[in-house]
Amino acid sequence: MIKRYLALTRIGIMRVIQWRGSLLITFAGNIVYLLIIYNIWRAIYSSSPAETVNGMTFTDTMVYLVLAMTIFNVLNIFIVWIMGEDIRSGQMVLDLIKPMSFRSYTFFSTLGGNIVQFFVVFVPTFIIVNIITGGAIAIGLNIFFFLISLFLAMIIFFFIEFAVGTLCFYTESVWGINIVKETMVLLLSGAMIPIAFFPAGFRNVVNYLPFQAIYNTPLRILTEEKMPLNNILQMLFVQLIWVAVFYIAGGLFWNISIKRITVNGG
Amino acid sequence: MHKRGLLFYVKIYLKIIKQDIKSKMTYRADFIISNFGMIIQQAAGFITFWLIFQNFPSVAGWKYEEMLFFYGFSLIALTPMQCFFDNNWFLQQKVYSGDFIKYCLRPINIFFYFISEIFDLKGLGLLTAGIAILAYSWVQLEIAFSFLILLILIVNLFAASLFLIGIMNIAAAVCFWTVTGEIAMVFAQQFQGYARYPIAIFNRVLRFLFTFIIPIAFVSYYPSLVFLRPDNIPLLTWLSPLIGVLFFMLSYFIWMKGAKNYNGTGS
Repeated sequence: MIKRYLALTRIGIMRVIQWRGSLLITFAGNIVYLLIIYNIWRAIYSSSPAETVNGMTFTDTMVYLVLAMTIFNVLNIFIVWIMGEDIRSGQMVLDLIKPMSFRSYTFFSTLGGNIVQFFVVFVPTFIIVNIITGGAIAIGLNIFFFLISLFLAMIIFFFIEFAVGTLCFYTESVWGINIVKETMVLLLSGAMIPIAFFPAGFRNVVNYLPFQAIYNTPLRILTEEKMPLNNILQMLFVQLIWVAVFYIAGGLFWNISIKRITVNGG
Repeated sequence: MHKRGLLFYVKIYLKIIKQDIKSKMTYRADFIISNFGMIIQQAAGFITFWLIFQNFPSVAGWKYEEMLFFYGFSLIALTPMQCFFDNNWFLQQKVYSGDFIKYCLRPINIFFYFISEIFDLKGLGLLTAGIAILAYSWVQLEIAFSFLILLILIVNLFAASLFLIGIMNIAAAVCFWTVTGEIAMVFAQQFQGYARYPIAIFNRVLRFLFTFIIPIAFVSYYPSLVFLRPDNIPLLTWLSPLIGVLFFMLSYFIWMKGAKNYNGTGS
């Protein structure tokens, strides 16, 4: 049973490796982005009277933002675009008649992309960051919890993407829907500005939304070495709740939508 | 190919655009959602600055409202490119598929014909967000308003948009020579986003890069200094309209040279 799913993942990995060119774009784009945010945050911190702002030094902030960028690369596999294009072209009909649920099919075939990005982008960046900062990130049990947390974050992000992709059945607007999703996720998850910098009221609201479980949770588990085990388990539990909520709600939404759609050229 | 008058091109342009808008209006939901998305995206940019200034008094001496001024200015400057030159994104695909040959066979300017094909309505959301942000910072900074300053603003915005269009033209034209044109476009787009920051906060290497190689310093930083630092305006600010026109012409010649090299795909 699980074997046929893993076969899909293996095909996904091979497909992504074929696209070495796009990995190169990611890499070069990241370097430029790094230079820019380094300069911007250095300027921001230079005007601060204190070295630590909201418990974060310049180095903490940089480590957080750099790793957030690589998590973005790991998670972002364009499911909304793929689903939107499949709906538009009618290709989706062929996937719908496959002998497994469409959601599982999409998850396991895009998982390959996540895995490649993890090893090609995240792991090298993590090592380089740790060398440059002289070991800013402790290596111990936090790595283990981080990996669990990252995997849960990946599932939550996948469910959000899938729900937004389902929305494309109704709107025929892929670009608009996708940009709204991307903006909300990046801002409210703490990927652009760490959530520690949000004012208290705003932070409270954000804590009740699923987005912070995508970037903020794994990054905090990874970088805050003194975090008590209790807190870690609590954060992982919140992630699990979001997985369950999206699993059920997203599934319902999909089942309702699939009944009332018409696919072009089907 | 004989020369045609400007009036002829304006007439043709309006005709082509009318068709494009008609076809887009059949997807009204897409129009509304795309513009909404554009505005949400810029609202998030606004919130990002707001969050930074909740924690820090300034960014290397630049105030909150000044940062917003650069940002709003860059968004308005981005609008003409988004509205009128968006077809550059589809150039590579048309060059590889061979469809590009159709543009070479008409008795009108190739660049004009290709670019005129699409009028991207998403630009209107961008313009709305840009004007709102610029107006807000303008009022907050209590910058004097007069007919002369409005004139300078319009000239500077026009020049700034020429730089952006030029950058995208050159990036798009890369696909005439290599098969990796996509990379150039993605990069150029990434740099557009960096134009919203005052170039002075970057280190020397980036400042040089953004002034002389990929001239995004002219998109917002240099032209805005007229309003933000009127006592200390650098020479490059005054020269920017002239350099803008020259840069746009350069991009046009590069694009046209690529188009003239085009041999089709043989099919």
